[in-house]
Amino acid sequence: MSCEAKKATWFCQTDLKARHKWMSGLFALSFRLCLINKLGMRVGDRLIPYGVGNWRTALAQAIFAVIFTVFACNFARADFVEEQRALLSAIQTKVEKAVSQVNAGDLDDAKLVSVRSSLDQLVKDALGVAVAFRPQLEDLNKRISALGPVPASDAPPETDVVKDERARFANEKASINAVLGVAEDLTITIGKSIEDIAERRRNLFADDLAKRVDVGAVFGSDVTEAAGNQVEALRKIVASWFTFVTKFKLQSVLGATFFALLIAVGMLVGGRRYFGRLYSRDASVAEPSYLSRLSVAFWSTLIPSASVTVFMAATYYLFDYFKVLRPDVRELMIGIFALVAIVFFVYRLARAVLSPDMPNWQLIAIEPRAARLLLALVTATAFVSGADNFTNLVNEILGSPLSLTIATSFIATALVGILVMAISFVKPTVDATGKSLNRNIQASLFLLGLLPLLAALMGYVGLARFVTQQIVVTGAILVTMYLGFKSAQSLAREGAFGRSNFGDLLRERYGFEELSIDRFGVLASIVVNLLVLAIGLPLILLQWRFQWEDIKSWVIKALNGFTVGSVTISLVGVLTGIVVFIVILAITRWFQRWLDGNILSRGKIDSGVRHSIKTAFGYAGMGVALLIGISAAGIDLSSLALVAGALSLGIGFGLQNIVSNFVSGLILLAERPFKVGDWIVAGNTAGFVKKISVRATEVETFQRQTVILPNSELINAAVGNWTHRNKIGRVEIPVGVSYNADPRRVQEILMEIGASHPLVLKNPEPFVLFQAFADSSMNFELRIHLGDITMSPIVQNDVRFAILDRFKAEGIEIPYPQRDLHIHSNGIPTIEEMAAVKARVPKTVRAKRLKI
Amino acid sequence: MKKISVALLAMLVMSGAASAASVINRDAEPQTIVVTEGADKAELTVGAGETLEFCAGGCFVTMPNGDRQALTGSETVEISGGVGTIK
Repeated sequence: MSCEAKKATWFCQTDLKARHKWMSGLFALSFRLCLINKLGMRVGDRLIPYGVGNWRTALAQAIFAVIFTVFACNFARADFVEEQRALLSAIQTKVEKAVSQVNAGDLDDAKLVSVRSSLDQLVKDALGVAVAFRPQLEDLNKRISALGPVPASDAPPETDVVKDERARFANEKASINAVLGVAEDLTITIGKSIEDIAERRRNLFADDLAKRVDVGAVFGSDVTEAAGNQVEALRKIVASWFTFVTKFKLQSVLGATFFALLIAVGMLVGGRRYFGRLYSRDASVAEPSYLSRLSVAFWSTLIPSASVTVFMAATYYLFDYFKVLRPDVRELMIGIFALVAIVFFVYRLARAVLSPDMPNWQLIAIEPRAARLLLALVTATAFVSGADNFTNLVNEILGSPLSLTIATSFIATALVGILVMAISFVKPTVDATGKSLNRNIQASLFLLGLLPLLAALMGYVGLARFVTQQIVVTGAILVTMYLGFKSAQSLAREGAFGRSNFGDLLRERYGFEELSIDRFGVLASIVVNLLVLAIGLPLILLQWRFQWEDIKSWVIKALNGFTVGSVTISLVGVLTGIVVFIVILAITRWFQRWLDGNILSRGKIDSGVRHSIKTAFGYAGMGVALLIGISAAGIDLSSLALVAGALSLGIGFGLQNIVSNFVSGLILLAERPFKVGDWIVAGNTAGFVKKISVRATEVETFQRQTVILPNSELINAAVGNWTHRNKIGRVEIPVGVSYNADPRRVQEILMEIGASHPLVLKNPEPFVLFQAFADSSMNFELRIHLGDITMSPIVQNDVRFAILDRFKAEGIEIPYPQRDLHIHSNGIPTIEEMAAVKARVPKTVRAKRLKI
Repeated sequence: MKKISVALLAMLVMSGAASAASVINRDAEPQTIVVTEGADKAELTVGAGETLEFCAGGCFVTMPNGDRQALTGSETVEISGGVGTIK
């Protein structure tokens, strides 16, 4: 492409605004220079002079530049369309190839899946090609709209230039639309092909299960002969490989094996060292708890199995790396490793659950003899099923006759069926008369074993193989998952984590409290649950003929977002948001602590202000963290307007009180009428302020009752604060003395007592008020000021005791209430007169008189 | 309080986690676009002033004026005068 065209391509694709900005500036200049260079070259060694003063030349060059730009743009656009078209046709070839592969119908499941994933990629490529047109289309649309609408038939017609432009733009658009149409059709073809693949895979699976073979025909002499040949062929393969290895690659093989062993041993020893306490059975423990039994079972299955798997994977990788493996040997190796892995895993698992040698560590209570028998049978089942897989692989590698494959599968599946049925005859627990207590389980196991046996006998070897595989592998995975879930469940139980080794570690080394350790337990239980799901589910799905590619694409889809109705939720986004929220919250909390500990703790700052600032920072930090977290989660903050609208409606009705308390809380923080530790009286509540939060304030009364006062009550009503600016307060002690006492002496005594108490302030000094001449006493009041009003009960006690003691010593009486009774006796005989009458009158008359 | 904050968070997530493409019709009359996603081709009618979410993955859209556009799944298409602009 020429110099102009290159620039123009970039130029054509730049934003329109930017173009206008640069149009008359730098760009025209560079174009002119470019142009002049070209012209100069054409006229030989003479370059056209370019002078600032020569305006005609400049004008001519500017016009040239514009014309060139327009041409170059069109040229470039056409060029770009062609480029994209070429890309599309390349994609189309690939799609056609894939579709023809699928349509041929001879692909197996794994190949279909790989074609499918390549088709997924092709859709993305086609979309990418189409998206690349977006700036051009936008540009064209802008230009068309700049031309204005097509004039109506009765309006004056457009000039030819405008008409031509319009036609040209329409043409360009049509050519782009055509290419986009091709891309669209391609995606439709791909979409159909993907649906087709799914259909074919379902059919393949069903065919596999429903295929019936004639079992009788395959058991002839030719099968035994074929088997003999295969064994010989296998021996030859292995022997030739062995010779090759010992001759040429001995060092590599030894080195690789050594390193793989080193890794495995490292894992095993490390595992034993760090998790040894987790999974070694301690014979001295008479009755281990369920959690320890579970965790021992879980870990003693997982760690050795993982070590063995790692050893084999490392061996394979290293052998591969040193190019020791031939393709057929590679397949064989994978087969052997798979066999070893499955048998080892099932053996470890059965041993963990049954624990035949240490019955007290069993997960299920089974008699030791039955446990030993079960362990042997289960391991044998796993071995037979694994061996069947391996022989199948060998048959595939050697290209054995189909009859041999069917025969081996038949024998293996029938054997597995028989073994499972044998397992069903083992009586795990028996009662006194020797009858089994687990009849239902035994019966279902019997049926489970009967299924593959019958299927194999009837010739459905594919179905039988599938069932036996499910019995062994899915069964093992399910049992392990069950153990994992159970141990997670018991981890979450209260206090369980604290009693575990890890809990001890947290407590001893990091000084965690019981409550935090318990929370860790819940967290650990969630993590274990998720891990079990994350590992177990894909394994089971793989067993059920789902392909790794499928699972991967599901996970990616789930992480990138799944659609519920019209809402797409992206797990990654949500998780990112949560992580960002936690991190920012931690940072603001750290800042808050730093501020509180290093700046605000300096002596001059009032504790109320300190508390307010700390709280305000706390809420601000929470708000900021929430906002940033939400944006990090990819949630458009503007869409929160809806939520805000709903909330404001809610506030109008139900949340009114809460909001009023919230605002009151903010006012409390700003105004600070009381601080934590103050003695306040609000309505009927009096006590010490314990905590001021945004909705309510905690007050502890003197009876130690915690009263939660809504903040609005503290703002709307009067609040008395005994310790607002200082703790000085006055205490009054009233006392009455008899009129016989000397009031001046009383005043002196009271003054003395007041002044002598160590907690009473000297200034303002105590004061004795002669309050009243009351009915039975002269009333005095001792008024004393205390430096700390909270000490008032103690001081009052001391002072009253002292007053009583001193008054007793001084002979001053504190009188009871007294009443003088005056009786007026107009016509009523006085007591003396009545006594005189009594003496004069005889007894009988007195009685008569009294009767009246 | 914890329950309230969890409920609020769930509401936020539900309200805003949409990352599909959306189409807004700024015209006074309903407009129809054709959406091709996977093997399916479907018409989508957008009422006047309405906003719809569609196309979670990638898709092709044919605008009312016949323009074709490819979307990767997070764009907003604005239709005005039958012309679709991608924001």
